[in-house]
Amino acid sequence: MPNPAPSRAISSAVRYLLLTAVSFAFLMPLVWMVSTSIKPESQAASGRVALLPDPVSSAPSQAAENYAQVWNDPAVQFPIYLRNTLVVAALSVIGMTLSSAMVAYGLSRVRWKGRGLILTLVLATMMIPFPVIMAPLYIVFRSIDRAMEGAGILPAAESLRMIGSLKPLWIPAWFGGAFNIFLLRQFYMGLPKELDEAARLDGMSHWGIFWRIILPLSRPALAVVALFHFIYVWNDFIGPLIFLTHRDTFTLALGLQLYQGQAGMTPWNLLMAASTLVVAPVLVLFMITQRTLVEGISSSGLKD
Amino acid sequence: MTSPRSNRRRRFRETLIGLAWTSPWLVGSALFVFLPMAMSLYYSFTDFPLIEPPIWTGTSNYARMGDDPTFLRVVHNTAIYAAFSIPLCTILGVSLAALLQGRVRFARFFRACIFIPTLVPLVAVAMVWMWLFNGEFGFINQALSRIGIKGPAWIVDASWVMPSMIIMSLWSVGQSVVIYTAAMQDVPRHLYEAARLDGMTAFQRFRHVTVPMISPAILFNVIVMTINAVQVFAVPYVMFRRPDGQNPAGHFYTMYLYENAFVYGQMGYACAMAWLQLLIILALTGAMFLASRKLVYYRGA
Amino acid sequence: MSTQPAIRDLTRRAALGTLAAGGLGFALFGPRTERQASARGRIVLDYWEKWTRHEGEAMQAVVNAFNASQDRIFVRYFVTADIGQKSLVAIAGGDPPDLIGLYAFNVPPYAESGALTPLDDIAPPHGVTIDRYALGVRQVMQHKGQWWATVNTAGSVALYYNRALFREAGLDPDRPPRTIAELDEYHNRLVRKSASGRLERVGFFHPEPGWWSWLWAYHFGGRIYDPAADRSLVASAENIRAMEWMQSYSRSLGVDECKAFRESFGNYFTPENPFLTGKVAMIVQGPWVANLVGAFKPDLDYGVAPFPVAEGLYDPAAPIGLIDTDVLVIPKGARHPEASMEFVAWTQRQDMTELLATKHCKPSPLAQASPEFIVNHPNRGISVHYDIFRSPRAFIPPPTRVWQQFKDEFDTVVQRLWRLEVEPAKALPALETRTQGLLDRARDERLRRHGAAS
Repeated sequence: MPNPAPSRAISSAVRYLLLTAVSFAFLMPLVWMVSTSIKPESQAASGRVALLPDPVSSAPSQAAENYAQVWNDPAVQFPIYLRNTLVVAALSVIGMTLSSAMVAYGLSRVRWKGRGLILTLVLATMMIPFPVIMAPLYIVFRSIDRAMEGAGILPAAESLRMIGSLKPLWIPAWFGGAFNIFLLRQFYMGLPKELDEAARLDGMSHWGIFWRIILPLSRPALAVVALFHFIYVWNDFIGPLIFLTHRDTFTLALGLQLYQGQAGMTPWNLLMAASTLVVAPVLVLFMITQRTLVEGISSSGLKD
Repeated sequence: MTSPRSNRRRRFRETLIGLAWTSPWLVGSALFVFLPMAMSLYYSFTDFPLIEPPIWTGTSNYARMGDDPTFLRVVHNTAIYAAFSIPLCTILGVSLAALLQGRVRFARFFRACIFIPTLVPLVAVAMVWMWLFNGEFGFINQALSRIGIKGPAWIVDASWVMPSMIIMSLWSVGQSVVIYTAAMQDVPRHLYEAARLDGMTAFQRFRHVTVPMISPAILFNVIVMTINAVQVFAVPYVMFRRPDGQNPAGHFYTMYLYENAFVYGQMGYACAMAWLQLLIILALTGAMFLASRKLVYYRGA
Repeated sequence: MSTQPAIRDLTRRAALGTLAAGGLGFALFGPRTERQASARGRIVLDYWEKWTRHEGEAMQAVVNAFNASQDRIFVRYFVTADIGQKSLVAIAGGDPPDLIGLYAFNVPPYAESGALTPLDDIAPPHGVTIDRYALGVRQVMQHKGQWWATVNTAGSVALYYNRALFREAGLDPDRPPRTIAELDEYHNRLVRKSASGRLERVGFFHPEPGWWSWLWAYHFGGRIYDPAADRSLVASAENIRAMEWMQSYSRSLGVDECKAFRESFGNYFTPENPFLTGKVAMIVQGPWVANLVGAFKPDLDYGVAPFPVAEGLYDPAAPIGLIDTDVLVIPKGARHPEASMEFVAWTQRQDMTELLATKHCKPSPLAQASPEFIVNHPNRGISVHYDIFRSPRAFIPPPTRVWQQFKDEFDTVVQRLWRLEVEPAKALPALETRTQGLLDRARDERLRRHGAAS
């Protein structure tokens, strides 16, 4: 190998150059989104390529104006959408984490015939595309409403109604999700058997083992599940699109589409401000939980 | 020594316990997955305008598909999208992971930049790219005009809609990069040492050591991407519907399925489309698993 | 050594905790839509409507006046996006609102599916009768011999043109084009290109705003649907001529140039609307343009005329024009049809329709209008819109239950025609077969479901 040092220097320079270019390309759309969101409309929709509005000193006041206009828009009500999204997120993250952990426990720490079959079924449902069930799922919830009407519960207790409410978006989460069950099951399989055998000898029940030993030990894996599911809920568009009929119940993703869709009434700078409002929370969350998230994804794809 | 009888009893008891622990999923999947699937199979043989009850029409919904040019168009668009975006995303994902391999300063920063776009909600992805792709004021065409290129009307022009979609899918490659990175870290060092002793160049090492060793991760990502590509919905739904109608080049399978179910009042047809979609996904994944027997290298297998 | 990671970990946890607490706090105590307290003890009616902003405020004013006028019924006004689709899902879900403000083209599918309460018996006792409405407007209220909808506001569609640009191009602003040939001539005079050959201004531009891509055939003396025979007429000679006419614009301006030009337009209800900025001198639009102008460019000197017609069809006494209507319906399954009808009757009073029409800059849907309404009307071209209302040659969106899908198919082909990807003589017969297939299938399904009776 003649003369390795210069060639290594060149290859490393090329590598950093490529990485920098790629990072720029990947970040640019978001940078441009924020940049547009702090410009007046006349400058947003113009041939001028600049990060900041002209004059630059107008940036803070223009930003404040645009964001206030989006936040206070009486026709779209972003504060209400934010609240709805958070309600759905909180309820489904709790339900998803807890129920997936329970099912994963049953598939890993309890020895029984048939658990292999159930695991196969769980994995099989991961293949089912949502569109296959989305339309009938709507009818399932409608049937629940009809049944409640038959039993006289509706319209007496309107708050129990499914269609048009947020419930179809979070109730299914309380029954576990295939991917999350699988993730947690892998984690539980990796915990030493001696743990619960010792606890069993001490007379602990399955529930005690689950609650006092397994759950505390699996905090990192639970965090991954919670994070994934939070991001999923925050992103979900098709679910709200189908189940939510009422503007009061819209979530942020649906509200953002509405904001864009209303007969082309919204200027670009405000659309980008609204997009920034929707994107910002997940980005902040990412910055805090980067390691957990990345490790969670790394582990999801490989080991079996 | 326990008697066979008490043994059987114990096993029965454990089965009950196992069922109890897995009951949330058993109930949930029955109610929210398998029941809807069965219903959609039934509806696929009916005419069902949503407001009125379904009536049996036999296989007419399936028979109709071949004569429905819109259906054929969405199948075509979706297939083209999958056929281009999956290989390109795989190549880009593996290459980026390879670039991040080894001792790289600021690796965390670079990885974060690549990963962040996958967190952006799809509706926002669509909006941001609509703006970037705008033929007149969009960042991309403005930048191109600086170097003397007149950019196309990306999301309007029928021949540029698909490239736009594929570029957007490349932007969301971060998740698979993370998985490839992890897979590459698991490749035993000594294999590279041996390859180097054999006189392999860096590219040969990548081709003959890295790629086979991470092939299970590639298979996993390709399957996930296939399932996602066949279902693509939110981004084109937001981008390609305009006041003067749907841009035909940006019309995808799930969009048409949704329109049939909830706009045109043709739930039966929509369910038939949904079942066909399921079969397509099963066939594609099955084919990939078969192909993988030859192509994917499992350690210890 | 280990203190730094520990501190970082602590900060991370603190940040995460703050975020979670903030999120939960917002979820628990965040804003909700206020439920008006004054509804206590009254029948509460939910009313879904599509209008936002100034149009919504006008309707809200009508609702408020109703709520103040009596103490038995209380109406809550809700704005709903994609109203036709959301209402379909809500009615099918068994939880419809009490009142819905739909588009006229929603009436046939809703009516045929039995999703609406017929008004023939319940409206007249409230003093609401069909003969009170303008001739053209009556067409949308009934479907297959039954009365299903009342009218919130109605607009007719006409040519809006920029008088200042006319003057600049040496055209007489008081003599707008009457025939398609004249429109072409005016257009050619108004086109302006930059030194580098880029379009800066056009006279007329078919896809702006492109809301009714199907209406050109009517101005060529044809139509695209025959309700009596339930036939698609998409490939009629008139429509083929109309589409060839549309393509002549793409050809003469350059199709790539047209695409780029269109991308330079701002969104509709913004100051960057191309009619406001002068990029397009003539557009086909409804009376609400006056609101658009008033909001963003009050000094724009615009004129209104019936949209031009093909050679030999011009008749000032009977202009051709689309009537596009917002209807108010009571869905089947609404809990208080009688109370809903009372509110409907309130909105159909002459003073209320005129209040609403004034705010929307539209003509009143009623046959009679008060003199003050006409004199004080904010739209200077209101008489043109009235002429179309009264014209025997006014037309409405094709009254078929498959119109939504028909139109989607049609729009798709029009886009391709406009981009010169297909030829009318080839694409339109194929489209006619397809749309006829939609009509036939819907008819077969009706027959199977209800027998020959319907």
